[in-house]
Amino acid sequence: MANDKTNCIVNRSPRFSFLSEDQKQTIFHGMLKVLQDTGANVHHEQARDIFKKHGCKVDGVRVYIPPNLVRQALQSVPLMTTIFDWEGNPRIYIEENRSYFGPGPTLVYFRDPWTLERRKCLRKDATTVARVCDALPNIGFVEGLVTISDVPRGTDDVFEFADMIQNTTTPIMAWSYHRGGARDLHRIGCIMAGGEEAFKKKPNYILYSEPISPLVSDFHAIDKLMYCAEHGIPQDYSPCAIGGGTVPATHAGQLVVALSESMVGVVLSQLINPGTCIILGGVQSILDMRRGIYSYGAPELNVLSGGLTEMARYCGLPMFGTAGCTDTKVMEIQSGIEATLQIHTSMLTGANFVHDCGYTESGKTGDIFQTVMDDEIISMARIIEEGIEVTEETLAVDVINSVGSGGHYLYEDHTMKWFRKHWRPTLMDRQSYEDWDKSGRKTMQDRIMEKTRDILENHEGPISRVPEEVKKDIQKVIDGAVERVEKEGL
Amino acid sequence: MSEKFGKIADGLLHGKIDEVAALTQELLDEGVDPDEVLQKGLFAGMDVVGKKFKNCEMFIPEVLRSAKAMHAAMDKLRPVLSEEGGSRAGTVVMATVQGDLHDIGKNLAGMMMEGAGFNIIDMGIDRKTEDIVDMVKEKKPQILGLSALLTTTMPKMGEVINALKEAGIRDQVKVIVGGAPVTDDFAREIGADAYAPNASIGTEKALELIKA
Ligand code: B1M
Repeated sequence: MANDKTNCIVNRSPRFSFLSEDQKQTIFHGMLKVLQDTGANVHHEQARDIFKKHGCKVDGVRVYIPPNLVRQALQSVPLMTTIFDWEGNPRIYIEENRSYFGPGPTLVYFRDPWTLERRKCLRKDATTVARVCDALPNIGFVEGLVTISDVPRGTDDVFEFADMIQNTTTPIMAWSYHRGGARDLHRIGCIMAGGEEAFKKKPNYILYSEPISPLVSDFHAIDKLMYCAEHGIPQDYSPCAIGGGTVPATHAGQLVVALSESMVGVVLSQLINPGTCIILGGVQSILDMRRGIYSYGAPELNVLSGGLTEMARYCGLPMFGTAGCTDTKVMEIQSGIEATLQIHTSMLTGANFVHDCGYTESGKTGDIFQTVMDDEIISMARIIEEGIEVTEETLAVDVINSVGSGGHYLYEDHTMKWFRKHWRPTLMDRQSYEDWDKSGRKTMQDRIMEKTRDILENHEGPISRVPEEVKKDIQKVIDGAVERVEKEGL
Repeated sequence: MSEKFGKIADGLLHGKIDEVAALTQELLDEGVDPDEVLQKGLFAGMDVVGKKFKNCEMFIPEVLRSAKAMHAAMDKLRPVLSEEGGSRAGTVVMATVQGDLHDIGKNLAGMMMEGAGFNIIDMGIDRKTEDIVDMVKEKKPQILGLSALLTTTMPKMGEVINALKEAGIRDQVKVIVGGAPVTDDFAREIGADAYAPNASIGTEKALELIKA
């Protein structure tokens, strides 16, 4: 039937917002004032020279950025960027109103999926994370959850990336200690893409670096940012701001500082290579003033991440958000509650990349079971996000008239067609009591563990599709990294 | 007089910086034994603060304000304390080791120790082993506090301890280590004197170590 509606607003998905246009403008102006009047420390001479050349006042390590330069940068950031898998298929569209979820980086401990013990991270864990994420349909990008401890110190960034990219086609949000590691990662990314030119056309990873709150860009963070900008590598420059610790305890104040810190990177990236892709955001939460921990489960994290997502959109930049994480020590009820609120809020506010699915113990331990639970929560949140479709067909007036009062819809073609749209659980229990009893009275935790172990035992992953030559070339990069760190230190 | 001790303790509890400093000065002017002011006024007050924090009745910013008040009082007291009193209020050098830029945990630990009467020399972040050893030589602190939040920088703590040994001053200073990836085992392995999983335990350990 032709659509003859006119002048009609159709909600594609529910929208949710913390900030009004005026509030966003006020926060934006706060950021401009901070960058202009207080500036930020940039511990990188070459970077400061670039700022200076473009009209910034530089005083020692302090760089003052005038509003005009911010505006100019925001005009040159790309409207959209596509991230591909290493087989060349588009996987992530970095553009407004598209959300992808994934784990977070570099935890201190890993919860062994077989023994359940919290232990040091091993090389094999990065592969575990990659393979499990490869099998999870709602995980859109991958980070390692680990700081590998059984490889030469300071080369774990390269080992991790090398292993992970071969074990998943889901694009990786990578990290490195220094430029040297970033260069090795890039070599690997290019090898997987089929050369540097191929990578330029189809970038297959993103590099994540962090400024330091309040208002500091340290040498290595900015050095990596410059490397990415120079090579057109999509990147993320976002702080872990600690409300009440490294930034004001008020949410608006935190947004101003966090935004300012990322903006230093945004401006520099655009001065180096106008149009290069850069993402802002980060972990935005509070210092728990009783326990002295940085909270990964606080409801404030939701408000702050949502608020910053709106600010990112206001600036025309993609947002790196946080969700699927928890302060409790293992995947359990608390982690389910915290992750659900986080994922739902992130989905509603539309953050582009949402990381830390699988973070437990306030950012200290990686728990892949949490990631698997998050996958299910994400799929539920997506259904809510899909909202209500109102068309002649979904309105179903014809069917309603034909069934009339009394009766049922179970025989209807309309039902046959549309019931398939209903969400189907893969982990949530909907069995009858008797079935549940007979099948072993499994709890959500039991089912999550079972699913995870089943993936680990049975999911093939793409590793067998990686050509031998490519594997050899990657091994050379790894060997080079070991030599580099032996020679230059960390 | 005991009334003034009570007021000092109360002022500390409520983070009244100027008032605590002024009361301390008053007592000194009146000729009260400084050690007594320390014990009956300041330590008594901070004991309550410590207990309240442990029982979750006080929050970090409140505790830090109390610590600041303590610090203000100590500025008045330190010059006139007896040797014994002075050593209970010893010096702590604090640093985040080389290659590591995390500082909130170290700052918190330092501020809490300040609240227990210690004089804190904070060297900041990313501090070279040599610089830390030089500082220990120069300031002769009773305690050296090291913080590291990265697995990659943790070994630097061991390096500092070895360098202290090489410089022949290991037995002159007690070393406390802390930070997210640091563990009790690791602390023992590198020969530290104590491991502090959080800031208040850091203070407890510091007090134990200077008593020992
Ligand atoms: C001497 O006496 C004592 C006594 C007690 C002491 C003590 C000393 N020191 C600490 N304590 C103890 O008492 C304190 C209070 O109770 C506690 O201190 P904490 O510091 O633990 O607690 C604070 C009060 C609150 N906690 C914090 O401040 C740390 C929070 C987390 C999220 C964190 C933050 C904020 C930051 N980080 Co970083 N960071 C993480 C942290 C995750 C985590 N869960 O710890 C951790 C430590 N970081 C990590 C990483 C990898 C990194 N970080 C980096 C950078 C940063 C920021 C700059 C963004 C920021 C620091 C800002 C700042 N001003 O400090 C990078 C390194 C920079 C560098 N060279 O140091 C980078 C390498 C990231 C990158 N790819 O670039 C991870 C380490 C993994 C590992 N195994 O090594 C990490 C666990 C986060 C994660 N999961 O990825 C106790 O540990």
